[in-house]
Amino acid sequence: MRQPRIPTGYVTLGVVGAVLALVPLATGDSAHYARITTLMLVYMTYAVAFNMILGHTRQLFLCLGALAGSAAYVSVVLTRELELSPWTTILLGTLVAGALGGMFSYVSVRRGLGVIFLGIVTLAFSLIFQNLIYGLRALTNGETGLVTKGMGLSVLEDQRSSYYVIFGVLMLSLFVYQLMMRSRIGVAFRALSDDEYTAELAGIDVTSYKVLAASVGSLLIGFVGALYGYRNGFISPAIYSLAGIDIVVLITLLVGGMRTLLGPVLGGVAFAVVDELVRPFGQLTVLVYGMLLIILFLTFREGLVSVLRKVTKLDIP
Amino acid sequence: MIPIIIDGVVQGLQFSLLAVGITLIYGLGGVLNLAHGQFAVIGGVTAALLIGGGMNVILACVLGVLASGLFGLIVDRSLLLPAYRYKGEERLLLGLILTLGLSFVVDGYLNYRVPDAALTVQLPYPSVTVAGITIRTASVATSVLAILAFLMLGAFLKGTLLGKAVRSIIQNEVGAELCGISATRTRTLIVCLSAILAGVGGVAQGVFSSLGSELGVELTIFALIVAVVGGVRSISGTLVAGILLGIVNAVASFYIGTYLTLIILLAAAMLTILVRPSGMLAYWT
Repeated sequence: MRQPRIPTGYVTLGVVGAVLALVPLATGDSAHYARITTLMLVYMTYAVAFNMILGHTRQLFLCLGALAGSAAYVSVVLTRELELSPWTTILLGTLVAGALGGMFSYVSVRRGLGVIFLGIVTLAFSLIFQNLIYGLRALTNGETGLVTKGMGLSVLEDQRSSYYVIFGVLMLSLFVYQLMMRSRIGVAFRALSDDEYTAELAGIDVTSYKVLAASVGSLLIGFVGALYGYRNGFISPAIYSLAGIDIVVLITLLVGGMRTLLGPVLGGVAFAVVDELVRPFGQLTVLVYGMLLIILFLTFREGLVSVLRKVTKLDIP
Repeated sequence: MIPIIIDGVVQGLQFSLLAVGITLIYGLGGVLNLAHGQFAVIGGVTAALLIGGGMNVILACVLGVLASGLFGLIVDRSLLLPAYRYKGEERLLLGLILTLGLSFVVDGYLNYRVPDAALTVQLPYPSVTVAGITIRTASVATSVLAILAFLMLGAFLKGTLLGKAVRSIIQNEVGAELCGISATRTRTLIVCLSAILAGVGGVAQGVFSSLGSELGVELTIFALIVAVVGGVRSISGTLVAGILLGIVNAVASFYIGTYLTLIILLAAAMLTILVRPSGMLAYWT
């Protein structure tokens, strides 16, 4: 097959960027829609990161919420206690998340842990994180959480500018993803997700590529998690819970399509729409999420991108 | 101190009941059931609702346990079927996600319909005194029940032909099928049996605490820790791990608080996986 002269990836990125950049014009000054659309971008970014971790290198992280939360809490607590600049502490929190993710990945590859072991270890980490937040009440204020409003990040407190900050992060992460996939790393990822042993035999350093994917993904998750903490006005354990982030990101990625560039974006839009539709059910949202997860995993594992490819007969990345 | 330890043992026995189910389903079906605590809660809530409706306590508890078993049967024959079509890692991943989804569905539903069910069991003698130590009769009753359940399970696996079939599948699924053992039917039986054991644990739990929607997750977590730390093929191993963890949990909760205790237990589970993963969870890797 002849490679197109302009890579479709960059064209897609341009279209996505243009559409998402215009969203605030469509929603106007409504605080409600500003909130939903920003949250949508946050989940898209999480999904881009999770796509590298689960999609490409088949590492089941059940601690996305805890990673995002670690970064957010490190940042907010350090800013409050040591009076550092929020940007410095966001950087620190992001590094903590990246180090944690990289460590889980490294340990699991070294010890040869299968998908289930890594799942349990990361699930245990999620619970440890939640209990630490409850337990360290003096620093974290327990389940009530901490107020982040007025901590000096005015750019994230205005609804329009915060949208564009997170939009920038999403576009940057998509761009980096695209660069990675078009480089040697992408080749390694594709080989890895097909068959690890064969990849290893072909001379691909499986360990370092898995750790790379987990670290980059965790850095991204931490960064966005911390930014969202400031955008949201307060942080609490509930915001960074398993049900609050991990399940949603899994659904987002599945709906959109794993191992694709556009998947996380499409999934994010679809999930935002579904979330709006189930909002009236209130308490039942957890039930709906659970059902969605089951139904999607059983019937729709290919994702929207694959459907679009079939319908439009285009080479959608 | 001694009453705390006894409480721990009683609690630990319930954890073991759930953990042994997780071990069996994992060993036999290759599915890590993250909805196992919810199996238990369904039993407890059913019993609570029946008692609330004026039914005889013992009959209600039995029906509650059977409700758990029925739920397990339905889950195995419907939700887990697609997972069974795959082998190895793929089945594990699918099973994990499906049961995780199931746990959210059950929790969401219970939270909506019966947010705070509670078993109110009035026993003729609220407590007995043995060697100067006062123990609640309910504790004695649930512990005896749990130990009986364990003995019966042990006898079933060791003594009957069907039990041997179960163990043969755990050892080698293909080999067992070559000998004419139906893996599918045995699996259904084991999932159902595990759910029944979970139901016993759930009903027993209901005697001591309210059956709120958070209980399911909590039970799953504790059972998972016990199953991981127990990490042995024998049922007695899970039993010992459960009792040990129950005691540690009770004593530590009393002295250093619940949050820190759970962190310690979770760290113990993590460490077990990292240091000696060749335990119960090693069948499939």
